[in-house]
Amino acid sequence: MTLRTAIIGYGKMGRIRHAAMEKHGGFKVVAACDSQPDPTAAIPVVTDPLAVYDYNPDVIVCSVPNMMIPDVVCEALTRGKHVFSEKPPGRNSGDVRRMRQAEAQNPSLVLKFGFNHRMHDAIEEAKKLTDAGTMGDLYFMRGVYGKAGGPGYAQNWRNDPTQSGGGILIDQGIHMLDLFQMFAGRFTEVQSFIQRNFWTEVPVEDNAFALMKNPEGIIASVHSSATQWQHTFRFELYMRNGFISVDGILSASGSYGTEVLTVALNRLDRGGNPIPNPECQEIRFTEDLSWDKEAAEFYEAIANGTPIRSGTSAQALEVMELVEAIYAADPEWHAQLQRQSVTAAE
Amino acid sequence: MQTPVFLDHLPDISTVTGRKPERYRLTRNKALSELLLDDTAHWHERSNCPACGGSIAKSRNFSRAYLPFQRCGGCNSIYAARVPAQQELDRLRLEQTAVKDPEAEQDREFEFISLLNWISLTEARSGCRLERVLDYRFCSQAPGFEEATGRLSHNRDWQFLPLESAADGGIGKLTRSLRDLAPKAVLVQAEMDRVADPAQLLRTLRENVAEGTIVFIGTSCSDGLEYEILGVDSPSFIPLDRLNIFSVKGFELLAQSLGYTVLEASTPGRRDAVLLEQYFNSAENAKIPFWSSFFQDADKDRLRDLQILLQRSLKSGVMRFVLKT
Repeated sequence: MTLRTAIIGYGKMGRIRHAAMEKHGGFKVVAACDSQPDPTAAIPVVTDPLAVYDYNPDVIVCSVPNMMIPDVVCEALTRGKHVFSEKPPGRNSGDVRRMRQAEAQNPSLVLKFGFNHRMHDAIEEAKKLTDAGTMGDLYFMRGVYGKAGGPGYAQNWRNDPTQSGGGILIDQGIHMLDLFQMFAGRFTEVQSFIQRNFWTEVPVEDNAFALMKNPEGIIASVHSSATQWQHTFRFELYMRNGFISVDGILSASGSYGTEVLTVALNRLDRGGNPIPNPECQEIRFTEDLSWDKEAAEFYEAIANGTPIRSGTSAQALEVMELVEAIYAADPEWHAQLQRQSVTAAE
Repeated sequence: MQTPVFLDHLPDISTVTGRKPERYRLTRNKALSELLLDDTAHWHERSNCPACGGSIAKSRNFSRAYLPFQRCGGCNSIYAARVPAQQELDRLRLEQTAVKDPEAEQDREFEFISLLNWISLTEARSGCRLERVLDYRFCSQAPGFEEATGRLSHNRDWQFLPLESAADGGIGKLTRSLRDLAPKAVLVQAEMDRVADPAQLLRTLRENVAEGTIVFIGTSCSDGLEYEILGVDSPSFIPLDRLNIFSVKGFELLAQSLGYTVLEASTPGRRDAVLLEQYFNSAENAKIPFWSSFFQDADKDRLRDLQILLQRSLKSGVMRFVLKT
């Protein structure tokens, strides 16, 4: 079964998805849409998003800026197309609910969001280890995900809240929050500090710190940063019998380093107490297969009805609600957001 | 195939080069001398590498304690060019263990925990429930191991097959044990380098367990910097205990040729750096470009960094394999 595919938003992400789908073999990319035509592209590139439907696609890949995502996704679902959309799933939970409504009205269609970090090898290994029960009960998690904002940061659409919905937290930190929820489910209590330190001329945060707790008492803390000058990904899980960490994440830029999973089981003394600094096992992953695995999961869901595990709309809603809860939990930041929205309305 | 790195403290050098290990080394070499002088002893001449099957003609030869060895030109494994019969080897080991100094066994707790955690984490990652494990002879090499499994290895039933004297070198008993116990995993720790015929041991395991059984192998590694630089001068090169020092590639080839799937290979050795530091700081040792000054100036941090690099590069003197039938 070959799925005719059209890509709306043919920038960096759209082209990554194109390559992964070609590699999979079950998709045939028949057209793409972007703001500028690309005469060098191997496929027709149109500038009107609706024009891709002239190519009779089965699947729409949505790789557009956040504020356009709900319109593109809902239009595709309404037209009877399966949809793969990049994260974040719009700008806020309202956007996700709108897409879920369109999904509910078309129950035979597949909607998947690209939370690809769930499908990185090191993360999947960590999940296997925790699911097996060997590590014992999960106590707490820590996550740091940060980058240097980089050139053009202030001008980037990602830092215009009307287009993106927020700053570094919704753009990058959302992956870490999604991983927290993958391992511990929904968080119901949230405390946070949101800051704008370096790029003070843009109305979104460049740092977000949050502490959260789920109903079972599992604690997670995240620091999402655009002033983490050394690109960093670090995800840690501490359990009764040991710990797991993932340092580095394979990315298209390669700037977050190799993906290294470290796992340790405690060494107990004869009284049953853990001895500090246990032996660690370190496993390095050097090939990013997450794009391929996402394409494969999406294909299986369409072709064989296999349920989506990573990137469901329910997961998208939960993580977007958590993002909003973090923004709201810092009273000063929340007040700033309120003032901005009043000003914008005026 | 995964290649994990096992990060831990560097060992105390005295565990390798102290008086007790030296006494052990002398005893083993004395036993080898007696065996070499025994006209009734049976020996098997090897014409091929026991790992990759490469011809002995393409290997480099050397000797240690009058036993000829070869370093394979194909896979870099080191092997004795002639090996005693397995029953002779077993007899000598039994004599050795009978007089073993109990103090030498006093603190192998971290080694045992490392093995048990290795099995637990492999179980978790592979998704294969390893509720019944057979230990092949490590309990004889490390008498505290059996007690440690009872204390530290929960939710797992351990069976032990100790070293015994038998006309067939223990293969018959191993075969019966595998069939009767039907283990989900077999531990072959510190054994593969000591057996006369490693292929026969692996074949016996493969043919007498159910498909999907996991085999944990721990053995010395000829790719280790310890062996690359020191060769026969390495204090751990005791000929009777190092009849087969496989390279990573060599052992992988052997396992695959016998029908195993290799799930994991690692070189978790921790002694290369400290052994080499001691060697290069001994006044009588010759100068080797780069390495002499590297080790003479080395502090603990440098040694630890080197050992981790060696592990990450699969270049330390001990290796582990996880195989699946």
